[in-house]
Amino acid sequence: MIVAERKPFEEIKESIKDYRKVLVLGCGTCVSVCMAGGEKEVGLLATELRMNAGLEKRDIEIMEATIQRQCDKEYIEPILEQARGCEAILSLGCGAGVQLVAEMLETMPVLPGLNTRFIGITEAEGAWSERCRACGDCVLATFGGICPVARCSKGLINGPCGGNQGGKCEAGGDKDCAWELIYHRLKKQGRLANLRKTAQLRNYATNAHPARQVNEAYQTPEKAGVKS
Amino acid sequence: MSQAKKLMAEVGLEQERLEMFNLGASDAPLFAAACKEMTERARKLGPNPLKEEEASVK
Amino acid sequence: MTTDTYEPKLVAFCCHYCAYSAADLAGSMRLEYPANVRIVKLMCTGRVDTLHLLRAFEDGADAAFVAG
Repeated sequence: MIVAERKPFEEIKESIKDYRKVLVLGCGTCVSVCMAGGEKEVGLLATELRMNAGLEKRDIEIMEATIQRQCDKEYIEPILEQARGCEAILSLGCGAGVQLVAEMLETMPVLPGLNTRFIGITEAEGAWSERCRACGDCVLATFGGICPVARCSKGLINGPCGGNQGGKCEAGGDKDCAWELIYHRLKKQGRLANLRKTAQLRNYATNAHPARQVNEAYQTPEKAGVKS
Repeated sequence: MSQAKKLMAEVGLEQERLEMFNLGASDAPLFAAACKEMTERARKLGPNPLKEEEASVK
Repeated sequence: MTTDTYEPKLVAFCCHYCAYSAADLAGSMRLEYPANVRIVKLMCTGRVDTLHLLRAFEDGADAAFVAG
């Protein structure tokens, strides 16, 4: 899931200050799960903005809507009409969502209400942590299902540095040393031999941006505009 | 509760306007005390500025 | 609005089983408490959401409290 967090209230307020009619648009997928941009957060933010405008005697109309996904055109289409009736959209989607909504509305400002952080998992209620950097060349098979690219602070893929302090990373922040985790996991699996092998060269070309992919069963190369 | 208070601070409304009381079914005097306490606080803080706004619009 | 006519309006979110019963009992016991409290009865105060509290203020409540 994409994990995001809401921008500070002041920043959001500043970004919409020139508009009189704003639609707060939530997204019902990842950011809903990480309690940043779902229907509930839309309600809270819209209420906050209305209350603040009331206190400061500003005249502003705040509307609310939440769609299933902001990263799929099909879900955005039904709210286009409502959106066009506003002066600006405050999207509580991830960076991808904000961009697609902006692309579909073109002439209208679409402002982000969240900071998109990482691809991660739910650790506990209200706690999430990063697990994947979308590098495009997955090494999880070798490292016991623990990703050194995403979870080692230094992104080392050839084994640990010397900075492990009692299982924690010397970079601080109470982070576990990914390489210690990998060692213990492989030990449990009886696959410690994996660590004796010389690490394979990584294909960094897979990490080139902007990335794009096409399923040929659905998209012919010509139709998708890919040069073969 | 703490989230609501935080949001009120963000918006610019006094956090004292909101409180939580724990009481049981037989705690009638406590309930009356809670009502009195909150009414006093509301009196001290004055009217909710949002209400005045609405009143002047109407 | 002049301050001398100001009579605060309060919203109380009450649990059906505790605070609401307590309020009921307060009535039976003829205990006096301010009449400007409007009670919202809930099956359980666990139902109270941040949004409910904010909406109470947005709609002009001078104070709100949760009892349960």
